[in-house]
Amino acid sequence: MSTDSVMRRVRRANPVPATRAAPDEHLFARIVSRPGDVRLAGRATRSTRRRRRASTLAIAVAVAALLASTAYAVSRLIGDDVVRPPVTRQEYLAAQAQLDLPPGYAWPHFNMPPANSVTSRGGGGGRAVLIAQNAWECYWVAAIRRGDARAGERAHAKLDALLHDHVYVAPVGAPEGWTPTPLPAVPFAVYAHDGGLNWVRASYAQAAAGNPRQLAQSCRANAPSGTP
Amino acid sequence: MTDTIDRAAAEARFRDVFSHLGHVAAYARRRGSRDADAIAAEVMTIAWRRLADVPLDDPRPWLYATARNLLLADARRARTANGVVADGNGVAPPPEVVELDPRLACALRSLSPVDCEALLLVAWEDLTPTKAARSLGISPTAFRVRLLRARRRLRAKLDEPAHDRPSDTNAHLDLEAT
Repeated sequence: MSTDSVMRRVRRANPVPATRAAPDEHLFARIVSRPGDVRLAGRATRSTRRRRRASTLAIAVAVAALLASTAYAVSRLIGDDVVRPPVTRQEYLAAQAQLDLPPGYAWPHFNMPPANSVTSRGGGGGRAVLIAQNAWECYWVAAIRRGDARAGERAHAKLDALLHDHVYVAPVGAPEGWTPTPLPAVPFAVYAHDGGLNWVRASYAQAAAGNPRQLAQSCRANAPSGTP
Repeated sequence: MTDTIDRAAAEARFRDVFSHLGHVAAYARRRGSRDADAIAAEVMTIAWRRLADVPLDDPRPWLYATARNLLLADARRARTANGVVADGNGVAPPPEVVELDPRLACALRSLSPVDCEALLLVAWEDLTPTKAARSLGISPTAFRVRLLRARRRLRAKLDEPAHDRPSDTNAHLDLEAT
């Protein structure tokens, strides 16, 4: 038997012949209703602004270059809205005392970003909120699958409280890194004003009705690496 | 206004990616997934969230790599739930199976997981070697070496007399740990 005939034999054994399925418009609409890749929007927005305000930006860059050479210095110039990695890490650790994780879950290790980077104030707490949210979602999915109604109700209640107490929606047109004013005393996460939070609420409503499919997607798609 | 335009452009770009939904579902089904449609939907959700990473020319290698990672994560979760612990070599029994011609399944199973996946990406997913290499995260040259080796080993296995092979009435194909 030649290697070519081997390949022909493997091709013939294909258990799922190729078919051209009709596009699932419902799924498409559901996916694009979620927050997209901010890198694409960011790039386009920046380029548009460059075209529109090229001279202004050039002056601003020149002034910034004169006044500061590090991200930290820039953060000092524009106010106290951004913080360095040790502060973000401290926020993350402090938030763990104010948020619950489901049984069997542990807080992932905080990987320190480069020392000269900056993050919006509250970013560490926001990260903890999203980790807790994802953990409770996964816990809920597991509870539904093993028929544990009590655990499911507990997860649902935790998630409702989390959204109510720790999640904010940025106003229309708000810049990336927007934070509520005054800054909340509890850890908080900010959703963009693009329907993402509505999608989350809809997935919780479906799970409460016994359909955890969307919730399971969220659990798996948003799980931090290393999560069980 | 700019945000609206950006979003429309992103959706148009994603529609091209989304047109491969059927390919991804078929890939998951061929690798033994019992919930291939859910895997495909999840791959597309990740693709939307990381659209800047998805290649514009042909997104299939990226989509298949993402699907493979999800399938492996599922397999690990299933093993953990069943209390199966990996042995000292880090190789655990495969939970996912595909029904195949027993002789061919046995021969494919004799290949290393990566060699087997290299072969199937070309034979079943119809990828060129360069694109299949991208999906596996290796260089095209390394991929061609793997593919050649896989074809030779498969041929040798299929050429063995029937009595030399262990019986395999279940005809299960191991697609684990690529």
